[in-house]
This record gives sequence, C-alpha cells and structure tokens, in this order.
Amino acid sequence: MYAWDFAALKPYWSLIWQGLGVTLFYTVTTVLAGLLIGLIVGILRTAGPRWASMPLRAYIETFRCTPLLVQLIWVYYALPVLIGVDMSAAMACFIALSLYAGAFYAEIFRGGIEAVDRGQWEAGRAIGMRRSKIFRRIVLPQAIQVMIPAFISQTILQLKNTSLVSVVAVGDLLYQGTVITAASYRPLEVYTTIAVVYFVVLFPLTLVADRLERRLGAHR
Amino acid sequence: MSAAEPTLSVTDLHKSYGALHVLKGVSLGVARGEVVTLIGASGSGKSTLLRCMNLLELPQAGALQVGRHRFAFGKGEAHPRDDELALLRRDVGMVFQHFNLFPHMTALQNVTEGPIQVRNMSKRESIELGRGLLAKVGLADKADTFPAKLSGGQKQRVAIARALAMKPDVMLFDEVTSALDPELVQEVLNVIRELAAEGMTMILVTHEMAFAADVSSRVGFMNDGILAELGSVEEVIRKPQNPRLIAFLNRFHRQPVGMRGSVDAGHSGAASD
Repeated sequence: MYAWDFAALKPYWSLIWQGLGVTLFYTVTTVLAGLLIGLIVGILRTAGPRWASMPLRAYIETFRCTPLLVQLIWVYYALPVLIGVDMSAAMACFIALSLYAGAFYAEIFRGGIEAVDRGQWEAGRAIGMRRSKIFRRIVLPQAIQVMIPAFISQTILQLKNTSLVSVVAVGDLLYQGTVITAASYRPLEVYTTIAVVYFVVLFPLTLVADRLERRLGAHR
Repeated sequence: MSAAEPTLSVTDLHKSYGALHVLKGVSLGVARGEVVTLIGASGSGKSTLLRCMNLLELPQAGALQVGRHRFAFGKGEAHPRDDELALLRRDVGMVFQHFNLFPHMTALQNVTEGPIQVRNMSKRESIELGRGLLAKVGLADKADTFPAKLSGGQKQRVAIARALAMKPDVMLFDEVTSALDPELVQEVLNVIRELAAEGMTMILVTHEMAFAADVSSRVGFMNDGILAELGSVEEVIRKPQNPRLIAFLNRFHRQPVGMRGSVDAGHSGAASD
C-alpha cells in the first residue's frame, strides 16, 4: 500500500499558487481575446459580406479540427520561421489559445444569433430601427441568453486547455507540478494536488452555469 | 398634405420570389382615416402586399408613397438605403400575426423602445406615453410584466400599443388574430375597432369577415396576385358579383353568401331562406 505524504509538498505550495496564477492569467486573457475574435467572426459570418464567409469558415474549421497541442507547437516553432519574427513562449501560447477559443466562441455566437427568431428583426425594422440598433438592442441580448450555457462550458474547457502551455515551458499549474515532482520525487501527491486545485477552481463555475441555465429557462 | 392626396398609395406593384410571381401589378390608394381590409385565399398575395407597404418586402417594380416618403422600384431605380427604410417605417406601424414582442423587455419597455431609440424621446416622456397606451389597450396593470407571462390576446394588444407609440400615420395589421385562441380574438378586435372610430388610417389583412364588414371603409379582394375587387363592404362582402369572390366567401363560411346580413356575426346561424 502506498504511503501518501502530502506534507512533503509543504515547501512547494508557493510554486503551486504561482502556477495557478499563470493558469488563471492565461485563462482570463485568452477568454477575453477569444470572445472578441468570436464576436467579430460570429457577426461577420451571420451578417457580414459574402466574400468573408469562406475564409472565416476556413479559420474556424482549422482551429476546431486540429488538436490545440499541435496548434500551440506550430505557432511556437513554425510560425516564427514563416514570418521571420522571434516569438516568446508566452506570446505563442497567448496567440494559439486565443485563436482556438475564438473559433469555438465564433460558432457559439453564430448559433446564438441565428437562434433568435426572424420576427424579432422584423419587429425592430417595423418600428423604424436601423440594422445595427436592432442587432445591439434586440437580437444580441436574446442571443447572449441562449449562448450562456455553451459559453460557460467552453470557458471551463479553456481553463483546462491552458495546461498545454506547460509543453513549451510556460510556468502554469501543470508545469509547476512537473517542477515540484522533479524536486520532491512525489509524483502521486503532486499530480493529485494539482488535479484537486483544478477541480476546486472549476467546480463552482459549473454550479454557476447550472444555476444560470435554470434561471434563464424560467424567464423564457 | 392636401386632402386629395392619399396617405398611402401603391402603384403597379410587382413582387416575385424567384419564379413565383406573388404580386402582379397592384395599385391602391388609401385616404386619411380610411380603413381598408384585404381579404383573399392564402397565397393570393394579400400579406405580401401589406408587407410591401412598409417595405419589409421590397417589390421588384412599382412605386410606394406614404406621406412624404416616396420609393420607386424597377430597372434603373436605386435600392433603398437602410436609413431611408428606417425613416419610412417610423411612420408606418405594423402588427404581426405572431406578435413578435421583444421577450427580454417588459410590456412597457416594448412600447417605449421605439420612442426612445428611434424618436429620441426622453425616458420620462416615453414612459408616460407608454403607460397611456397600455391603459388604452386595457393593460395598465401589465406594464412590468414580461411577454412570456401574457396571454396571446394581451401580447397582441401590447404589440398594438408598441406600434402606436411611434405615432404612425398609418397602421398595418397582418392577420393579427390568426394565431389567437378563439376566445381571445374579440379583445384584440375591440382595440382595432376603437382605433378605427378614432380615425386612424388602417390597412388590415384578416379572415374575420364579420369584423371586416363591420369596420371597413373599403374592402379589397386579392386573387392570384391581383387586387381583383375593391369597393364598399356592401359591394364586396354583402353583394359580391365577382364569381371568384363569391366562391371564396362561400368556401370561407361553408354557407351561401350573397344575401344581405349573411356574414354578420349575429346572423351566422340564421336561416337564409
């Protein structure tokens, strides 16, 4: 029987907090950037010019149909060679994670916008509203209500996906885990602790999602 | 505007969807204060005609005039811009079959949205206007209720108040009772009847023949993309001459029409011989 010794991790807790900070930093920044990308791409795909549709679709499918790990490595190793610019690991991670999140958020936005009844556009037009105003005041608020559950589950995935940045030696929670393991020779305790930390951060988020979903359901 | 000039007129309007020719040259002028009802079988083009009057549908050819707004369609005519369309629609109220209330707004917010966002009315003034209109349609107590909590008849009355809040020159009603439970139809028709009595210029597409007979200044019969008949209630509903119109009215009531009074609601069960 394995003798667990979590006390052995005591000297390393500051590294875990540090790693969690990095994980949260990448989550927040790439979710925000991804949302911006997703909103723009999602709107362009539903209401934008026809010529924009194909390239945007190509972007979305490229990032949805290749593994994030491959994208990360490609942006870190291949992209700098192609465009002749040095890229820090941190920058590569930010770009890859943002583009990845953007592709998924774009589809969520598009789905939400298209789920709004056509009659809503007509009602807005019938009282003399301009297109942009109908979108902002009438369609988008309803689309966001529809999107919230999908948005939260995608954001939960995004936080977990940041663990991939450890591959290019960015010091997130998982990376710190490998560092601590190398120093403490306690992989079971370390990775169990890391898993618990992820869980403790994410579980409340799923509860919030459930609650929101129920509340929105009641409103409709 | 001179008294002779119609509030709304369409001239030789053509509309097709691909190969389907829905409007085949329709002309109609509606004077201030008139109530014109359009009847006809489904697919006859009556709803399309109505939707061309605020350009929710853009015709391929013809002309539309509402007050000072003028649009011409056809070869060589520019496609109307979004802002020109918006200016027209401020002055043309429309009520839809399926209400199309904004579900994320209360009844009052539905009514004040247009005045605030389109007419740049102050919030206070618009709330006063909105409460007044909700009271007018009998829903003063529902101001803070969301559409999901309203009955169909209540929703439609809020939708009428929303359209009225723009102070339109003309109101369009597109089968506004067709989606309602039978017992809720009258409360909506009563509101429209009241508007007619106040002199609101209105164009209605409806299947409520008794109501049409009661409220209309003129009745138009649409058949196969053409305004086949246009005349008084007497000429079109009570004593129809056009064989297609007679067939339509007969099919509609499953009882012979053409005799005076036979389509009045109160007489529908009366013996006609």
